[in-house]
Amino acid sequence: MTSHRRKTNRWLRRSIPSYLVLSTPTILFSALLLYVVGWNFYLSFTNWSLLNPKIGFAGLTSYVQVVHQSYFINSLIHSSVLAVVLVAVGNGLGILLAGLLFFINSSRLRTVYLSIIIYPLAISMAINSVVWLWLYNYRLGVNWILTRVGLPAVPWLFSRSLAFPSIMIITIWAYTGLATLFYLASYINMDKSVIEAAMIDRAGPLKILRSILVPNSLNSFIVSTALLLIFSLRIFTVPYVVSGGPTNTLLQTLVVYMYYLFTTEYFSQSAAVASIITLIAVAIVIPYALIGIRRWIRT
Amino acid sequence: MRSISRRKPRAHLAGSAVKYLVINIIAILWLIPVYSMIINGFKSDLAVTSTPVLVPPRTPTAGPYLAVVGPLARPILNSLIVAVSGSVIATILGTMGAYFFYSLSTSWRRTLTVLSDAVFAIIAMGTFIPYQSTIIPLTRLIVSLNGLDTFSGLIIAMLVFYVPTAALLMSIFLAVIPRSVVEAARIDSASELKILFRVVLPLAFPGFISTLIFVLIQTWNNFFIPLVLTTTPNMRLVPVAVQAYTGGYGTLYNESFAVAVLGSLVPLVIFIFLGRYFIRGLMALGAGKGV
Repeated sequence: MTSHRRKTNRWLRRSIPSYLVLSTPTILFSALLLYVVGWNFYLSFTNWSLLNPKIGFAGLTSYVQVVHQSYFINSLIHSSVLAVVLVAVGNGLGILLAGLLFFINSSRLRTVYLSIIIYPLAISMAINSVVWLWLYNYRLGVNWILTRVGLPAVPWLFSRSLAFPSIMIITIWAYTGLATLFYLASYINMDKSVIEAAMIDRAGPLKILRSILVPNSLNSFIVSTALLLIFSLRIFTVPYVVSGGPTNTLLQTLVVYMYYLFTTEYFSQSAAVASIITLIAVAIVIPYALIGIRRWIRT
Repeated sequence: MRSISRRKPRAHLAGSAVKYLVINIIAILWLIPVYSMIINGFKSDLAVTSTPVLVPPRTPTAGPYLAVVGPLARPILNSLIVAVSGSVIATILGTMGAYFFYSLSTSWRRTLTVLSDAVFAIIAMGTFIPYQSTIIPLTRLIVSLNGLDTFSGLIIAMLVFYVPTAALLMSIFLAVIPRSVVEAARIDSASELKILFRVVLPLAFPGFISTLIFVLIQTWNNFFIPLVLTTTPNMRLVPVAVQAYTGGYGTLYNESFAVAVLGSLVPLVIFIFLGRYFIRGLMALGAGKGV
């Protein structure tokens, strides 16, 4: 026992320099991250703006001002709707597309289709937005096909009621691949014998999907939902590039509104919105990381 | 058994046809943006005014590419510098951090669980929080380091978020390395750094490449950080430079699409040839096993 402990101690002492080298960069950048997040919280309790360049403590003033702004509520509603729609449609489409891909026998073909659904995530959202802007063009875009087959032209971004849904279509197109990937992985890693038994019982693909694959994909549901929620909170580039700046109130999400307050130099109010976003994100991320991801690493 | 084998093929065939019909429709819908990117960059200015976005050009021309390659050359060079160095640094540093966690969980498991949980939570925050919400402190920090409009400023800002990302992804990839390998190397009294680079990293090399490619694509595509940390046109990165082609008055759409192609050439080529590594990186965000 003592010799074992002595050995451990010796090993420990010897590896301390190594561990310092290994851990310092990650700890340094993590500390920097905490520092900027903390600094932002501090700023949100001050009264710093263009009109008031001398920073002073102001308690919850900025928060009170912000929650009374109709544009804040407007952007909060946009972000919430986007989150709900992205989670619902992303999961729904993900479950179905993964089901389709699962029943494709050639693994090569399956990879090709999966790549087609995932590729939007590899391209910059700024570029995706430029492309979609033209696709939404009233005369030259997808309307051209719609009118040719006898459907009415859709006003897309030019209509008050359709502008934000048009943005949501872009995000659904971009992020559905993520959910599809997690569901497909869960289907593929499932016990084959159960599925084979169901096939022998002449269960169709839909039946297998509904009664075997989906009920056993709880983990994928949790992962997809958490990630889609987190990514929906981050959606900045699409509304920004599509509207050519942060000022289009039809398309403002929380992060866009926060950036708008920053550019107009309402710094404390911007920091207050940023703090609210951070709190929402932390409430999702921390449980997800510690329960969802960590558990997997430990085993 | 017999009736199954006799009846199954026809139902199977019909089901199969429907399956491929649906997946092909989805695939076509999903490919519309990239299809229009590819065809429209080859349209002449004249063709642009008379043809819609979804119709291919009758006489392809390289004109739009020649028009945008000049203005886009500098942003592409800038993006290459920032994304390549940023992702290599982030991945190496993140791997070191991940190995630190990995050894923590083997050696002083009980005593340091709380600490390692706390640091892990911070890493997850760095990976997942909307990084836009740190805009004011982040710009002030970079300004105070004289990093506005510099490569090092952009790279440091990226590292704040992507070192944690790389550490998180590598933690997932290292988790499958058998403990016995590391313990054997320790008995041979190799230093921890040596164990990481000579023993663990070769075993986790696909994971390392996945992390590198994932972070490279993220840094290349990041729009917000270069938006707030660059002010001079000379320092613009690709995603910000692309904004000038959003189709305001005077922009012809063939140029927008040529820009889109040139601006996504690097990530698209990586995705086409090394897509499975990128996909493995995405999987690791959910701590999932591979497809």
